[in-house]
Order: sequence, then structure tokens, then C-alpha cells
Amino acid sequence: MVSRRASRLAQVRLWVVEAAVASARPMSVQVLCETTVARLGVTGAVVTVDNAPGRSETRHATDPLGARLAELQVTVGEGPGVDARHDGGPVLVADLDTRHSQRRWPLFAPLAVEAGAAALFTLPLCVGAIRLGTLTLHRIEAGQLDGATLADALAFAGFALTLLLDQQAGIPLAGGDPADDGLPLRSAQVHQATGMVSAQLDIGISDAFARLRARAFADRLPLNEVAADVVARRLRFGSTNDAP
Amino acid sequence: MDDERLMATFVELADTLTDDFDLIEFLHLLADRCVELLDVDAAALLLADQHAELQLIATSNEQARLVELCQSQYDEGPGLEAFRTGARVSNADLAGAGVPWPRFASAALVAGFAAVDALPMRLRTEVIGTLKLFRSRAGELSADALRTGQALADVATIGLLQQRSIRYHEIVAEQLRRALHSRVVIEQAKCLVAERLGVDQAGAFAVLRGYARDHHRKLGDVAHAVVTGQTSANDLIGTPGPARNPGW
Repeated sequence: MVSRRASRLAQVRLWVVEAAVASARPMSVQVLCETTVARLGVTGAVVTVDNAPGRSETRHATDPLGARLAELQVTVGEGPGVDARHDGGPVLVADLDTRHSQRRWPLFAPLAVEAGAAALFTLPLCVGAIRLGTLTLHRIEAGQLDGATLADALAFAGFALTLLLDQQAGIPLAGGDPADDGLPLRSAQVHQATGMVSAQLDIGISDAFARLRARAFADRLPLNEVAADVVARRLRFGSTNDAP
Repeated sequence: MDDERLMATFVELADTLTDDFDLIEFLHLLADRCVELLDVDAAALLLADQHAELQLIATSNEQARLVELCQSQYDEGPGLEAFRTGARVSNADLAGAGVPWPRFASAALVAGFAAVDALPMRLRTEVIGTLKLFRSRAGELSADALRTGQALADVATIGLLQQRSIRYHEIVAEQLRRALHSRVVIEQAKCLVAERLGVDQAGAFAVLRGYARDHHRKLGDVAHAVVTGQTSANDLIGTPGPARNPGW
């Protein structure tokens, strides 16, 4: 049975691949942002990446407004992106020009409205404690994302996450296990194995996940299988038997 | 059933529904209380995501086999049936003939469970998840326990949706995603601690939980601190260990 999540993700992947092929460009965060805008009918899309805890940098913005909104949040130190990175959940703001929004972000919200934004939807790109960045969609008209659009937006975020993880693990973008979208607990073992590798190699959780994914890619095995081997203690990452 | 204990549980659960509410901690507490109050050996709470797929959020003991059993790799089972029908689904003897979900039943037996009940988490006409109750011995759960179990499932539903009266799919998107990420952090932390301290997953979870309680901190925050290296595994058991690489 192909789950609905898997089919949304496959659809989104296909859209991005088509856009890359049509413009004769390699797969990239930029192509993904452009495809998100084209398919979801939003004004713009921005991917930010976290270089260090609390330090976020714009990787790509499809329009100047998006770049401005990302920059504003860095400047004033608050906003939906800051919140999303902090607690790992989406922050969906259908209208920035309401009392609730203005109270929640007293510095950011008025400036965002002044810049011309009306709605902002930030989806964190994270795997548990591994925080890679955010995908943010904005609109110049207020209003919610409907259920289907939100589901697609989450699928785009899943794919953006995969691209950032691939980059981190040093494997070709979107070249790894297509079943791996990082997020759902399809397989708790992947996250369990990440924790174990982090302890075995005495490295950070983010590096541990990159090592696990790189290993799966190098061995041409599904990530799940490599993780299951680690959890069952058939495979141990260590200086002795883990060739880099 | 001990009425006073039951009353205390509802007061305790209501008490956690504050502004600063931590969904994953709340649901773990609820799973724990199910085991204490209902004469069951394990409890698990699963919530439906925006794709209507059930995701495991909390279990009573985090035993690895229970976690595996509750993940939705099976497109069959009592939890899914209760979710789809909105009605309770019970099987008092998973080893018996004619169990409608053979793959789930054999996995449950391997994990040490002989009977299961799945209660729907309902909000008006919508079903948002299921509460699964497992027992190691075959046999029916008493009507009394089932009623209390359903009341606890209803409390869980209220807990999930109490925060804001915004639209349902947004609650699901924001709350559930956050809870799922907390869940991933707990998996990461649990196994990091297990590896460092040489204990099993359930043992590592107990250590995390005990530390969170003793220090009045949220389970998710403690798990996050462990995974990001701010708190070491040795800190959790009160043994001063070597400082971790501060570059994390």
C-alpha cells in the first residue's frame, strides 16, 4: 500500500525534477523554491539554513520580499521562523495584521506588514533535535492555506529537508533512498540508530545522522536496513571497523 | 477500581493543561496512568496526521518491541480499525484462531502481548487517533476498565485540542508536527543514553523521565539537552562525567 504521504512526496519530487529538467539545471534548493511558488500559488518561497545554533542564513529567496522577511527576523530576533526553529513545529500565520500576530511578534509583525507581506507560513526543516533550517511561504493577501495546499507545502518541506541532508552527508542531491523523508516515525529505528552512532563516535547528532545516511548511500542499502543493523548491534560505527 | 486514585488522575491531567502545555509529556503521563488504573501491561497513544495515518506519540514504557509494534508499518490491526470505524476494537486472545489481523497478532505475541483493546479518540464526528491497551494474558478487559479507558482517551483528545479554537487541520499540522518532532528527539536521546550507559531502551527512557521529573523539567527539553550535548548521560544518573565536546 502506498501511503498518502508517500504519494504526496513522490508527486512533489516529480514536480521539482521536471522543473530542473525543463530549465536544464541540476537539482537545487533554488529550483525547489521556484517550483513551490509555481505549484502552490503563493507569492514567494524562502529557504533558510542554520549555520550554528541561533544563526540563520538565507539560502534562496524567490523574491525581494521573501529575502526582506527573512532578513527582518534575523535583525529583530523574533518572528515565525525563530519560533518554528525553536520548537520544531510549523507556524502558520494567515494574517500578520491582526492583534494576535502583532502581540506575538511586536517588532517583526508591523515591519513585515509594512514591507508588503500579509500571510506567512513557516515549516521547519528538522529531524528531532537536528535543525537544518526552514521553508517559508508568503503571500501578499491574507488567508489560510487550505488543507490540500498545506499537505503539499509539508511535502515540499520534506523534500527540501532531504536536499539539505544530502548536502550535509556529501551524497548527490536527492540521490539517496527515496523513502527517506526524515520526518515521520515510519521507522523509529533510524532515529534510535542516530542516537547510538552519536554515542559510538562521540559526535553531534547532526553529524551522526549524516554518517548513517552516507553509509546507507555508499552501501546502496535502504537507510532503514542500516539503522536496523545498528540497533540490533550487527553494525557498530567506530574508528576500527567503519571506513569513512 | 480505586475511585480516589481515578479522581486524582483526572485532577492531575487537568492540572497539566496549562498555557505552557507539553503535549508529548501529557500523553506519556496518560499512558502511564492507563497502566496503573486499568489492569493493563502497556498503553500506547497514536494520533492521525494530515494524511490520516496513525503516528505513535507516547507509550507507557518505551520498550523497543512495543514501539516497533505500534508503528504503522502494518496496514492492519486494531488501532487502525478503531480509527477507521470510530468504535472500540478488542481482541481477548491474539493467539486464538480467526484473529482478523494475523501479522499484527504474531508481532504482538512476539512482543509478549496476548490481548489488546483499541479505543478511538473522538472529537464530535471526527476520530483523531487511538489509545491502545495491551495485556500479557488473554482475557476480556472489564467493562469498568473500558469505560475508564474511554474517559482517559477523551481527556487525551481534549488535551490535544484545548489550546486554541483554530481550524482542525492547522491544529493537526502545528501540534502534531511538534509532537512528532519531540517524539523523534526522544528516540534519539533514548538510544544515545542507552549506548552511553549500557542499558536497554526502556531503561534509558526511565532514566530520562526520572531526571525530568526530579528536576521539574519537560521530558522533551531534557531529551533535547541530551541530544545536543548540554546534558550528558552521566548527568542524568548523577555521576559527574567528562565534559562533552562544546562544539556541538
